Amino acid sequence: MATKQKQQTLNEFDQPIKGVSLWMDAWRRLKKNRMAIIGLVIVVLYGIISLAAPILPIHSYKKQVIDHQFLPPSFTRTAGELWYERIENQLTAMANKEGRGTLNEDEKAQLREIQQRIETETAVINDETVMVHQRRYVLGTDYLGRDMLARIIYGGQVSIAIGLIGALTAVFIGIVMGSIAGFMGGKIDYIIMRIVDIIYGLPYMMLVIIFMAIFGRNIMNLFFALAIVSWLTVARVVRGQIISLKNAEFVEAARSMGVSTGRIIFRHLVPNTLGVIIVFTTLRIPTFIMLEAFLSFLGLGVSAPFASWGSLIGDAVQGMNLYPWRLFFPALAMSIFLFFMNFLGDGLRDALDPQSKNKL
Amino acid sequence: MTKYIIRRLIGLIPTMLIIITIAFFIVRLAPGGPFDLERALPVQILENIEAKYHLDEPLIKQYGRYMLDVLRGDLGPSYKYQDHDVNFFIHQNLPNSLFLGLVSMSIALVLGMTAGIISALKQNSWPDYLSMSVAVVGISIPLFVVGPVLQYIFAMRLGWLPTSGWITGRYGWVTLIMPAITLSFPYFAYIARLSRASILEVLRSDYIRTARAKGLKGSVVIFKHVLKGASLPVVSYLGPAFSGILVGSVVVETIFRVPGMGQFFVKSALNRDYTLILGTVIVYSVILVIMNFLVDIAYALLDPRISYK
Repeated sequence: MATKQKQQTLNEFDQPIKGVSLWMDAWRRLKKNRMAIIGLVIVVLYGIISLAAPILPIHSYKKQVIDHQFLPPSFTRTAGELWYERIENQLTAMANKEGRGTLNEDEKAQLREIQQRIETETAVINDETVMVHQRRYVLGTDYLGRDMLARIIYGGQVSIAIGLIGALTAVFIGIVMGSIAGFMGGKIDYIIMRIVDIIYGLPYMMLVIIFMAIFGRNIMNLFFALAIVSWLTVARVVRGQIISLKNAEFVEAARSMGVSTGRIIFRHLVPNTLGVIIVFTTLRIPTFIMLEAFLSFLGLGVSAPFASWGSLIGDAVQGMNLYPWRLFFPALAMSIFLFFMNFLGDGLRDALDPQSKNKL
Repeated sequence: MTKYIIRRLIGLIPTMLIIITIAFFIVRLAPGGPFDLERALPVQILENIEAKYHLDEPLIKQYGRYMLDVLRGDLGPSYKYQDHDVNFFIHQNLPNSLFLGLVSMSIALVLGMTAGIISALKQNSWPDYLSMSVAVVGISIPLFVVGPVLQYIFAMRLGWLPTSGWITGRYGWVTLIMPAITLSFPYFAYIARLSRASILEVLRSDYIRTARAKGLKGSVVIFKHVLKGASLPVVSYLGPAFSGILVGSVVVETIFRVPGMGQFFVKSALNRDYTLILGTVIVYSVILVIMNFLVDIAYALLDPRISYK
């Protein structure tokens, strides 16, 4: 009994802690977080769909079929059937209004012509001749007869790309400025941080809106406008990290053991800031997607024939009473992505937190 | 304290100058002008118009002239809406925007704090799960999705609320419901999460244990000690929240056709209506800067660790 107890006490201190790398440890902790894993799966799925968009069996996102304007979503019925039905309904309604129970010859001829066109008409889309009225629009069509599913997927591509590139640019500028300020200290630090403070105080979204409105909607302008205002927080965080780590005990310990400066920076300082940076990038992506969508919603973001989730939602607000699918599907696609991206970001933050190392 | 306030107030002046200067030059350096119409005006007429508005002078002189006018409180005439000057639009529309913003902020603050307090005190109960789920939705779904969806469900399908309008219109106060909910939703979400987290942290702190050990009543501990400590992060979030609400109001006013300042923001920038854009930016920045200032003062008052020096 006594020996066992002794052994236990011993074990509490002598337990060999298995050396794990930062990433293994983080991954182990991330795996425990169910919502974060679901988030990861969903985000990866979105990524795969966006990347694979050109080879997916979807319609062209920019081919306009003017007869197919505003077709409702349908799995089973072809565009031709929906189109025919709509024209038939319109003609019947008109006939009823005029007090006729049946269609007159002109109208019947019109319907026959449509029937004829549905059966025979072809169109050349992406060098392929297709029976254009035999297409099925699973998520309906927009005001130019374009397939909503394809537009949502390609819109997602644009949105996610902007989120990713924007976040990476912001983080890159932030790391450079933040580490310069942190390492150099003194005057340079002061100047950089005052610039950050001043830009922080500006109502920068307003300046971005004006910038986009004045200089025109174009993806490069969008990146530029978002990048110049978004590196601030990263710079502050990185600077803080570097300053606090520069004098941390483990750096001193490493130095006292004769570790070279380069090795201290790359083996000790960088991995410790990397966690924060990765978390920041993940948390920034939804912010960027939202910013882009916000601008696109106002009509200041990406321009035709490109789409982004924001521009799709912005377009759909007109006439959403009659064509609600145009609003709901892009809104849903975007909300699901942002929702799970947030969970993934939170999960990564918990997982990469060095404070919880070796804890489960 | 008074000294601190005065120094902070003086500090606001350079911020305002920088904002106006940046906005002025972004607007002016871009190609195009307010009088570029679909059909080009005859050169002579264009020159006359530009001379009238002093647009033919060197940019730096125009800048000086504009700054002097602004100092006198005159934001100039609108270039697009002739017969009206910018002060007129501000006078007419700003109160609506401000009212909507303040109502939204109050909703976000009151409901957010309440949800946060309940969630923190009854951790892992159903009210906690409910409010935190709503909060996650609020954080991840942007308001230009929330707005149209609410509009579709409650106005177009159920017909309970008017789709758009304003309290001065024929539907009266009910028109305020959807814009205010839409605008406050994301900030409600942040405040709920923030206050929950900070209350949980404060509850674990030593001074709360001391307060309980002294034998203070539970409600006294919560309201006098916990809430005061836990409200600091929320107060410091109010600054960003105000600026978010200001920008968000641009979208919400567009969706719900609220006759506020926000509707001019995008329109006047697209129209190159120089004075109207600048006027809107100046007004928004003044509001923002004053709000940030008030938040800082409130923060200093709440937190004894912050000195006024």
